[in-house]
Amino acid sequence: MGNIHRLWFILILGVMCWGAGCGQRTGWAATVDSRTDLEEEADVLERNMAGHELVRMARLNEDAATAGAENHEAPSTAGKPSQNAEEAEAWPDDGYPEETLYPDPLEPMNRAFFAFNDAAYFWFFKPVAEGYSAVMPDVMRLSIRNFFTNLSMPIRLVSSLLQGKMKSVGIILVRFMVNTSAGFLGFQDVAKQALNYPVQDEDLGQVFAFYGIGPGFYLNLPFLGASSLRDTAGWVGGLYLNPLDYILEDWVPNLSTRAFNIVNNTSLRIGEYEALKDASLDPYVAMRDAYFQYRQNQIEK
Amino acid sequence: MRRYENVPCGRSILCGALLMLILAAPCFAGAPTEDIKQTTDRILIVVSDPALKGPENEKKREKLVRQAVDERFDWEAMTKRSLARHWQKRTDSEKKEFITLFGKLLERTYMDKVGSYSGEKVIYTDESTDGKYATVTAKILTHSNTEVEVLYRLKDLNGDWRVYDISIEGVSMVNNYRKQFNSIIVRSSYNELVKKLKEKVAEKD
Repeated sequence: MGNIHRLWFILILGVMCWGAGCGQRTGWAATVDSRTDLEEEADVLERNMAGHELVRMARLNEDAATAGAENHEAPSTAGKPSQNAEEAEAWPDDGYPEETLYPDPLEPMNRAFFAFNDAAYFWFFKPVAEGYSAVMPDVMRLSIRNFFTNLSMPIRLVSSLLQGKMKSVGIILVRFMVNTSAGFLGFQDVAKQALNYPVQDEDLGQVFAFYGIGPGFYLNLPFLGASSLRDTAGWVGGLYLNPLDYILEDWVPNLSTRAFNIVNNTSLRIGEYEALKDASLDPYVAMRDAYFQYRQNQIEK
Repeated sequence: MRRYENVPCGRSILCGALLMLILAAPCFAGAPTEDIKQTTDRILIVVSDPALKGPENEKKREKLVRQAVDERFDWEAMTKRSLARHWQKRTDSEKKEFITLFGKLLERTYMDKVGSYSGEKVIYTDESTDGKYATVTAKILTHSNTEVEVLYRLKDLNGDWRVYDISIEGVSMVNNYRKQFNSIIVRSSYNELVKKLKEKVAEKD
């Protein structure tokens, strides 16, 4: 098991170092702690903008500053105070806060990996998953997913414990016992069907968030997809809690099982990524925002 | 009527009230949920009607679904919230154009989702109203046995509840588009955004 973990660490570290190097070269990632986030963001923006964009940004800043004043002037100019009040209420947290909360200093690298993942999906994973689902009936694929979900119980158990979510801990334990025995090693999700105990989506990234650690910045990693610094750290930590790595210690069977799991999961989710891409004007930004919103929702649960 | 004459009036009212409570308790049958449910049911009837099946009826199906969606969704509010601080800087004709384009894109996206409908169950689990605003929570049970949580945000428009945002598993559509629009406008320009939107709508037609 030492082997496989060393491999993961080298992979992740390599990607991060390369990403950081990328950032240094392009002047994206140099951050000084003493400065406020807002200054930082403005700086990052400035360094990467051409002259005309700077002018536009300045204008935007001005507008943001006068927005409040405009609202007060409204009755005399537009004569529609109610409408203005309504508009102000519609986006109270306008402008900067969200962007500074979820920074993306490695955007060039992330975009490159996003393009890579996009190609990997359409040229490899999707055709393979489609071929696989043609020969594997739905019921089998669902059972296989159930099995892997049941197997990764320790990650959810430890994460719930560390957050003090005792109800979740109980549900996870009952689920594991019921599904492993009555559900034939977890192939059947009896606990969901009979007891209506759903899967408790907990992971170490959420534990870090529970203790007040922010997402750091956005990461889009090859094969792993959308993540953040915090959630990637959580994912790596989760490897130690995944029984799969203790059962299959050699990296060939380990990676082939993982690949199989990925293909199986992909076969059950064909169309989701296409839908996102289809509905968005900038799929990269859409994915990044969806990731942060989705995680925020999970964390708050 | 005569049979109830011997029942004291107060008691019958109490009984009636109790009965109402019992009947109303299990389903959150508030007005916003009713409105959402009505629209969803209307769409599901169109989609699962055997008389409207097949590719030759696609136009007819689309028209009926579009009617139902248009009545429930407030495209203008969605556009306003998605453009956020960039909205006020637009001229009236620009606003109108954008609402039409964005509405078309959303309609198409929604239609694609409805088109892939194959008997999933929809359960309305919660509702909350706060003056002119309301949220309705629904759960969709998919065939792969997973639950997808959908949250509708509605606003009272002259007694009619209209949807201005949908969140799926915590991902708000309006917030998502706001980030995209802002990113495109800040990096290039509003005109570029309109161009991209036009291309997107055209590629889907």
